[in-house]
Amino acid sequence: MTLAEARKILMLYRPGTSDADDPEMVEALRLARENGELRAWFEQHRACQTVMRRKLREMDVPVELRDRLLAAGKTIRPTFRRRRASWLAAAAAVAVLLAVAALMMRPRVPDGFADYRSRMVRTVLREYRMDIATNDMSEVRRFLAAQGAPSDYVVPAGLAGLKLTGAGALRWRSNPVAMVCFDRGTNEMVFLFVMDRTAVRDSPPAIPQVARVNKLTTASWTRDGRTYVLAGQEEADFPRKYF
Amino acid sequence: MAGRDSHPQQQAGDRPDFQRLVDLHYASLFRFALSLTRSESDAGDLVQGTFLTWATKGHQLIEAAKVKAWLFTTLHRRFLERERHTTRFPHVELAGVGEELPVIDPDLIHRLDGRAVVELLARLEPEFRSPVALFYLEDYAYREIAAILEIPLGTVKSRIARGLARLRILVRDSQTAPQRAGEKTS
Repeated sequence: MTLAEARKILMLYRPGTSDADDPEMVEALRLARENGELRAWFEQHRACQTVMRRKLREMDVPVELRDRLLAAGKTIRPTFRRRRASWLAAAAAVAVLLAVAALMMRPRVPDGFADYRSRMVRTVLREYRMDIATNDMSEVRRFLAAQGAPSDYVVPAGLAGLKLTGAGALRWRSNPVAMVCFDRGTNEMVFLFVMDRTAVRDSPPAIPQVARVNKLTTASWTRDGRTYVLAGQEEADFPRKYF
Repeated sequence: MAGRDSHPQQQAGDRPDFQRLVDLHYASLFRFALSLTRSESDAGDLVQGTFLTWATKGHQLIEAAKVKAWLFTTLHRRFLERERHTTRFPHVELAGVGEELPVIDPDLIHRLDGRAVVELLARLEPEFRSPVALFYLEDYAYREIAAILEIPLGTVKSRIARGLARLRILVRDSQTAPQRAGEKTS
């Protein structure tokens, strides 16, 4: 372990916690004991950490907050799990059966690609949110994978020049959808939606199909089992310039 | 000033009632919320919202021993939701933040009052602010911080390291602009 590596590890050291049990920390602490330069740095670092920690832990807490919390708690009290009576379970089963029957008898809602694309466009035209804000594509992929959304998507070459701003994990009719957001540099966003192709009955072909949907221009294509929709505001040569 | 949170260990199955829960955790939750929002009023609202969520959904938590972590996670989620509403396109230049920790004299921090430290902490981007606040305020292991913030362990460590470096720079710079940081002048 080099001094620089030890310093990075020691940055995260907090006295009196389980940090010292970490094998890397043990090694870094040993190095700090043996090396004068590292020891001096670490002592000063610890002194800074101790002061900062104490300052933050000394923050005053409004006395009236406790009363306010307890007063609010009187109106809504926690309910805990109790063993249900068997007749309740039977009633619940009947209710579930009725719900399933109603679901099966309802008119079939089309699950065509156009519905999906239109829904995604409406999503970004309305207030939406990114679940993760980062310019690190690897972090985006890890996040989406953790959410069960497609994470093995191929970003069109033209989008590589744009600034990645984050992503969101959406759902369309129970199917996970990855939304990856790019900034064109003028605070105008470009959105890449990726979903499994089997989620729609008529996924688009491999060659991008351009269409105006609502107020946005879109390009849609299918590749390696994924259906892609790229959506953004009107722009010269959009979206061909991104392929 | 309210009493300090004593961080008692709860046993699985030993579910505290609402008042005991408030007494145990409201102070530490408030400090965490204040470090995120820097506004006492917003912090109070976040804490209240967190306990109300507990009152309506807390029964879904099976392991009573995890109540405290559950409360911190809930508060953090509420904070992020609030941030998303106020900032439609949040963005962090993660690559632009170095991990090199600037050397500063501990006396520089000594000279700041607690309020000024909170102000400096609140200047960090939320992605850094939350893990750094938990790093200082609570004695959670890093894997527990990762669970509370719902991000990978490596990301937690990286963000804390970067956040600490940023915070040190802010402390150092506050000495040249004391009126912004609220430094004591006497």
